[in-house]
Amino acid sequence: MNASIIGQMAVSGALMGLVYALIAYGFQLTFATSKSINFGQGELVMVSAFFSLTLLNLGVPYWAMIPGGLLFGAIMGLVVERAGVRLALEQKGEGWILLTIIIGLFFFSAAENIWGRDDRPFPTPISADPIHVLGVDITRLELSVAVGVLAIMGAIELFKRRTLLGKAFEAVSADRDAAELMGISATRTVMLSYGLSGAVAALAGILVSPITTVGPTMASALILKAFSVAVVAGLDSGFGVVLIGMFLGALESLASFYLGSGWREAPGLVLLILALAVRPTGVFGKTIIRKV
Amino acid sequence: MKRILLLRGAELLVLAFLGTIPLLVVNPYALGLLTLLAIYGILLIGLDVTVGYLGQVNLAHVAFLGLGAYAAGLAVTKFGLGMGPALLAAMAVGLVLGGLLALPALRLEGPQFALATLSFAALSTTALNELEHLTGGAQGLSLNRPPVWGHALTPPLFFWLCLALLGVVWLLMRNLLASQWGRAFEALRDSPIATDAMGVGTYRHKVAAFALGSSLGGLAGGLYAFNFQYLQPQSFTYDLMIILLLGVVLGGRKSLWGAFVGATVIVLLPNLLSNRLLFQVFSGLGFAGALAAGLRGLVKKTARPFQALAPGIAMGLLVVGGLFVENTEDWRKAIFALMLFSVVVGLPEGLMGFLSLFLAKLFRVPHAPLPEPSDIEAILPPRTADGSPLLVIEDLKRYFGGVKAVDGLSMTIKSGAIHGLIGPNGSGKSTVVNVISGLYTPSAGHILLRGVTLPSGSLYQVSKSGVARTFQNLQLFAELTALENVMVALKGVYRSPLPLVLLGLARKEESQAQADALCLLDLIGLKDQALTKAKDLTYGAQRFLEVARALARKPDLLILDEPAAGLAHPDAVQLIEIIKRVHQRGISILLIEHHMDVVSELCDTVTVLDGGKVIAEGTPDEVKRDPKVVEAYLGQPPQTDLPGEPSPQPA
Repeated sequence: MNASIIGQMAVSGALMGLVYALIAYGFQLTFATSKSINFGQGELVMVSAFFSLTLLNLGVPYWAMIPGGLLFGAIMGLVVERAGVRLALEQKGEGWILLTIIIGLFFFSAAENIWGRDDRPFPTPISADPIHVLGVDITRLELSVAVGVLAIMGAIELFKRRTLLGKAFEAVSADRDAAELMGISATRTVMLSYGLSGAVAALAGILVSPITTVGPTMASALILKAFSVAVVAGLDSGFGVVLIGMFLGALESLASFYLGSGWREAPGLVLLILALAVRPTGVFGKTIIRKV
Repeated sequence: MKRILLLRGAELLVLAFLGTIPLLVVNPYALGLLTLLAIYGILLIGLDVTVGYLGQVNLAHVAFLGLGAYAAGLAVTKFGLGMGPALLAAMAVGLVLGGLLALPALRLEGPQFALATLSFAALSTTALNELEHLTGGAQGLSLNRPPVWGHALTPPLFFWLCLALLGVVWLLMRNLLASQWGRAFEALRDSPIATDAMGVGTYRHKVAAFALGSSLGGLAGGLYAFNFQYLQPQSFTYDLMIILLLGVVLGGRKSLWGAFVGATVIVLLPNLLSNRLLFQVFSGLGFAGALAAGLRGLVKKTARPFQALAPGIAMGLLVVGGLFVENTEDWRKAIFALMLFSVVVGLPEGLMGFLSLFLAKLFRVPHAPLPEPSDIEAILPPRTADGSPLLVIEDLKRYFGGVKAVDGLSMTIKSGAIHGLIGPNGSGKSTVVNVISGLYTPSAGHILLRGVTLPSGSLYQVSKSGVARTFQNLQLFAELTALENVMVALKGVYRSPLPLVLLGLARKEESQAQADALCLLDLIGLKDQALTKAKDLTYGAQRFLEVARALARKPDLLILDEPAAGLAHPDAVQLIEIIKRVHQRGISILLIEHHMDVVSELCDTVTVLDGGKVIAEGTPDEVKRDPKVVEAYLGQPPQTDLPGEPSPQPA
């Protein structure tokens, strides 16, 4: 076994890991404002990818398709928020977990019937030719994933820090009641977070589709790993998800090489259960003081 | 008597009915459905323990079904075991793996718990697929139903075996869930902190509940293996998990009947979907029902508009979709989703939750009679209060980062005293209580109870040592009745080991517990509302119930954390009365309070905190006049005393 193959696997894996990080970031956005996450986020990634593919097939150019796909993702995110999360939180309790699972299931079934059960290629103008960097081959496609992920995360973080609306977002995350007393509508902020989260999921779908192809089950493996990343990193650290995402991506790439491809999900799942056992708030998460 | 006749009668009737079907109808297909019904019944009863009683979304149950099935299958094919041992192996796999998963996972709540169980399920599917030399991987595993005592098990015999096992599981679970164990499961769903503080180990019960539910999943898996005689990892995936959740939620949580109804629905669903007419009839009925309930909710204003209409919209989609879609089978998942959605939103208590209210009224099922209250002398025998030091706190410190919430507190509570602890907001009173009761670990210092160091950092251990507390922000078990709230905490009554409880041989201590709890409710004047759910009590009554529940611990020291907070005047007067009654039993009390009138009337000694330090101690009158106390409360140093002028008093 030589070092360059290991290096190659680790780098490709880490770049894929950025997609997990992006989806996990979508969880963080909604968790911050409403302490809830969309368990059907994977289906959101998938339907957005299918929708984007349809746009491409209708003749919309690639770069014009991206905003369309993001908008669709955002709208779907709002649907989940209204029909799943808000409905359940109004009744109080953990019902939102079930409801978001259910809505995801509905999306899945709809996609199966509208777009078919087969995997389809997703055309992209970005070439898959490798470029040679430091003894490792990286394709432009993989690089575009990294750039896309970091760009949207950077943009959202800037939005949260620099704009008034973004500061409202941070205020609701910090203390919902206090923010409401200051005249910020928590409901709207939660809606905003779900919209953003949906757009982020759509981008993840658009970025990853050229590599994985598009199909109803494209996100079922992705989402498990995104869950792992979100939980291991902690549900409140944007920086953490990037780090853990790349780490996990590299780890599973090596695991599938050494243990066989059937085991590629295993490291993430084991890591998740371990992390929950040792540090339930995540490696980069804040510890919570229990109050009575 | 009428109650027992009705309830047990219904159970026996259904069991006998199901049992005689194979004698009357010779139809292999129907028999297959019935067998599956019995198996799913066991499976859902197991799932209901976590989803219903613990109130957590458990996505790993399907994994235990699969692991149990493979365990039984391998026991037969690889080790040549008989059916009995194979089923035991399946249960053991569920129990052990469930316990192992529970150890880390149950420190988690809500979404994290769901994620951990989801990961476990995915991991077990991976393992079943990849361990090809053992499981045959995706190729599947074929097995034969081993004969029992030399007799081959024909389908009707196998069905009766499954039905008998369902009956046994039903009986054992009914006994367990009606006992202290079942109450503890529900209590820790409503308030884990209070469950620990009442000396009922939260963690232990959670792990036990999860392992128990998982072992039932394993048992069902074993039966599943012998029923189909062919296993594939793909059978035990997320899709089936959703269907199982549909079963529990639709049937009704926290109910054996609910699990049974849910299992019936699951078993009949495929038939419902394949028959067009049947599907349209049922979706139409569902739509009408959902719409009627929604409109009723709108008119009565019990639900918000969207909440009331959402189930109707979902069922409407189902009806409209049913007209346009060519093949309902293709839309199976969407149909499940719409049904499940309507149930979760529109019928959160499930079919049985809804029906049981209706049936109870129809047949006028009376509540089981309560025993006579015990004698207070027996439950809280008067103690001699000799004024010796009971609780000694030495140089206690608790820092949160840079915040010194408690900074070198020393105080002594004498046995038989009512000791007040007062101070302005943020002075560290609540932190002191939380450190003594074990919620927080002290940063430094010692706490001694009768000269013995009090365990630190564990509500459960402290509670076991004889300190009980109430909570400023009520931590009642909302879904339990007032009586059950007290019964959960009751100390020294539940002695029967688990096997006896399962066999239903612990009824005597159960009625003893009821009698004792009633006596304590009598003490606080809530005996007449013993069967009211805690969440339906008035605010004042809830505060009193906290006191009764803490008393059930029969404590040496009772800590009352702002018991009068938010009480109206008549309630406050009653509270003073109750505290006096408790004090007469010789129980020492640490009273944290804002209301000066309450403190003045009750306390022998008062300690005043400010900035985490003791600034004064003495009788209520003394501390009221202490200039430091006045300064702490009014925020202003008193003007230099002019001779003859009285010093100002705190408001």
